[in-house]
Amino acid sequence: MSDAAHAHDDHSHGHPSGIMRWLTTTNHKDIGTLYLFFAFIMLFAAGSMALLIRAELFQPGLQITNPDFFNQLTTMHGLIMIFGVIMPAFSGFANWQVPLMLGAPDMAFPRMNNWAFWLLPVAGLMLMVSFLLPGGAVAGGWTMYPPLFIQGGISYDLTILAVHIMGLSSIMGSINIATTILNMRAPGLTLMKMPLFVWTWLITAYLLIATMPVLAGAVTMLLTDRNFGTHFFNAAGGGDPVMFQHIFWFFAHPEVYILILPAFGIVSQVIPTFARKPLFGYASMVYATASIAILSFIVWAHHMFTVGMPVAAQLFFMFSTMLIAIPTGVKVFNWVATMWKGSMSFETPMLFAIAFVCLFTIGGFSGLVLAIAPVDIQLHDTYYVVAHFHYVLVSGALFAIFAGIYYWLPKWTGHMYNETLGKWHFWLSVIGMNIVFFPMHFLGLAGMPRRIPDYALQFTEFNQIATVGAFIFGISQLILLAVVLKTIKGGAKATDRVWEGAEGLEWTLPSPAPYHTFETAPVVK
Amino acid sequence: MRNGTGGEMTGDGTGMADKGKGKYRTAILLAVFAIGLFLFTLFNGLE
Repeated sequence: MSDAAHAHDDHSHGHPSGIMRWLTTTNHKDIGTLYLFFAFIMLFAAGSMALLIRAELFQPGLQITNPDFFNQLTTMHGLIMIFGVIMPAFSGFANWQVPLMLGAPDMAFPRMNNWAFWLLPVAGLMLMVSFLLPGGAVAGGWTMYPPLFIQGGISYDLTILAVHIMGLSSIMGSINIATTILNMRAPGLTLMKMPLFVWTWLITAYLLIATMPVLAGAVTMLLTDRNFGTHFFNAAGGGDPVMFQHIFWFFAHPEVYILILPAFGIVSQVIPTFARKPLFGYASMVYATASIAILSFIVWAHHMFTVGMPVAAQLFFMFSTMLIAIPTGVKVFNWVATMWKGSMSFETPMLFAIAFVCLFTIGGFSGLVLAIAPVDIQLHDTYYVVAHFHYVLVSGALFAIFAGIYYWLPKWTGHMYNETLGKWHFWLSVIGMNIVFFPMHFLGLAGMPRRIPDYALQFTEFNQIATVGAFIFGISQLILLAVVLKTIKGGAKATDRVWEGAEGLEWTLPSPAPYHTFETAPVVK
Repeated sequence: MRNGTGGEMTGDGTGMADKGKGKYRTAILLAVFAIGLFLFTLFNGLE
C-alpha cells in the first residue's frame, strides 16, 4: 500500500524519564497509553460500583446499602462509565492509531493533546472524592436533572465542575483529532481511502464539538442556579426544569453515538482482517456513519415522551428515531456481507467483533421498541431501558474496546497476547454479560422501576440471575488485566503485520511501533 | 490532489510542513464554533 518510511529509533531524545515523562509527554503513543490506562482504572472503579449495586439487588429489602448511597452508586457508575471509561478509551485508540493510520508523525497539536489528557484525571479525582464529602456523592442520576441537581450539597458543585473539565478535555481532544485527520494525511491518502476507524473518529469529533458546548451551557446554568441566584430551571422563579431536559438530551443523544461510532470503526477494521476480505460497501459505511450522526441531532425528545409534548412532536421524534435503524442496518448488513464466504478465523479480536455485531443488534432492536411512543410510556424508567442501553454500551462499545485492545496490543507492545486467556476472557464476558442483562428485559416488561434499592418479591429470581451474571462478568475482567500486563511484560514476538489479513499503514511499521514514526510522510498509492 | 481542506498535498516530507499552516485555520474554526455554541446555549437559557 505504501512506502514504509519511518524512523527506526526506539527511544526519546533526551526526554524526561519516570513520572515526568508521562506528565510532560507530547508523544501520541504515550498519550494514547495514558488514556487507555486511565480508562482501565476507571473501569474497575465504576465496575466495582456496579457490583455493589447488583449485590444489593440480589434480594429484596436493604442488605448492604441505604437508599441514598444506592442512588449515589447508580449516578456515579453512569457518569464514570460514560465520561471516564468509554470516551477516554476511544480517545486512547484515536491517539495511538489515527496518526499511524494516516502516516502522520504525531497529532496536529501535541501540547494540547497533553493538556486534554491531564485534565481528565483531575476531573476523575473530583468525582471520586465527592464520595467523601458531607452528604456523599451526587445521587440525582447521571442525567443531572433539576430540581434534584439544584438542591444537593457541595458534591453537586464538584460534579458540575468535573463535567465542565471533562467536556473541555473532550473538545480539545476532538479539535486535535479532526485537525489531524483533515490536515496530516499522507500524500495520496484521500478521504475516501482512509480506514473506517479514522472516518468514524472524524465524524465523532464533529459530534463532540457540536454537542459538548451544549452540555457545558446546561451545566453552567445549573451552577448559576445553585450559586448565583439565577432561575434558569427553577419553576418558582419563572424558570423551566423541562428546558434542562431538552438541552441535556440534545447533547446526550448524539453522545450515545459518540460512544458507539468509534466502536463501529474498530469492528470495521477487525472483521475484514479476520475474514481476509476487504470491507464490503466501504462508501456506504462512510455515508451510513455520517447519516447516523446527522440524524442523532433530531431525535433527542424520544428520551422525554413521558414529560408531555404534542402528539405531532411525539410522532416526529418516534419516526426520526426509527429512521436511524436504516443506516445502522446498512452497517450490520455490510459486516455480515464482509464475513460472507470469507476465510474466517476466530482469534479473540474477531470473537469480540462477532459478539458485537450480534449483541449490539439486540440493543438496537430494543431501542426501536422504545422509540415507539406508546410503548415507551409503559417502559419508561423500567429495567427494560437498563437492559437496552447496556446491550448497546457493554456488548456494543465495551466489546469493541476489547476487540481493539486484542487487535492492536501486539502492535503496541511488540508481543503476542495469550490467546487461551483471551478466549477465556471472551467466553466469560459474553456469557456473563447476557446473564446479567438479558433478564432485565423481563424485569422491565414486568414493571420493575430502575434506580431502586428494594423491589417487590416477584422480581427476585431474575434479579438473582442478573447478580450472578454481573459477578461472572465483573471478575472475568481481571483476566483482561492479566493478559494486558503479561503482554506488556513479554511473550512471543509479534511480527510487523501481526495478522495475516491486516491492511493499512500501521502494519507497515515494526512491532512495537517505534517512539517516532512517519517522520517522513509515506506515499499512498 | 486536494487534501480536503484546500491544502495541496505533495509527495515528499516537506508536504507535512506545508499542511501545518492549514491546521491552525481548521482548529480555530472548530474552536470558534464550539465557543459560539456554548454562548448560544446560554443565550437561549436567558430568553
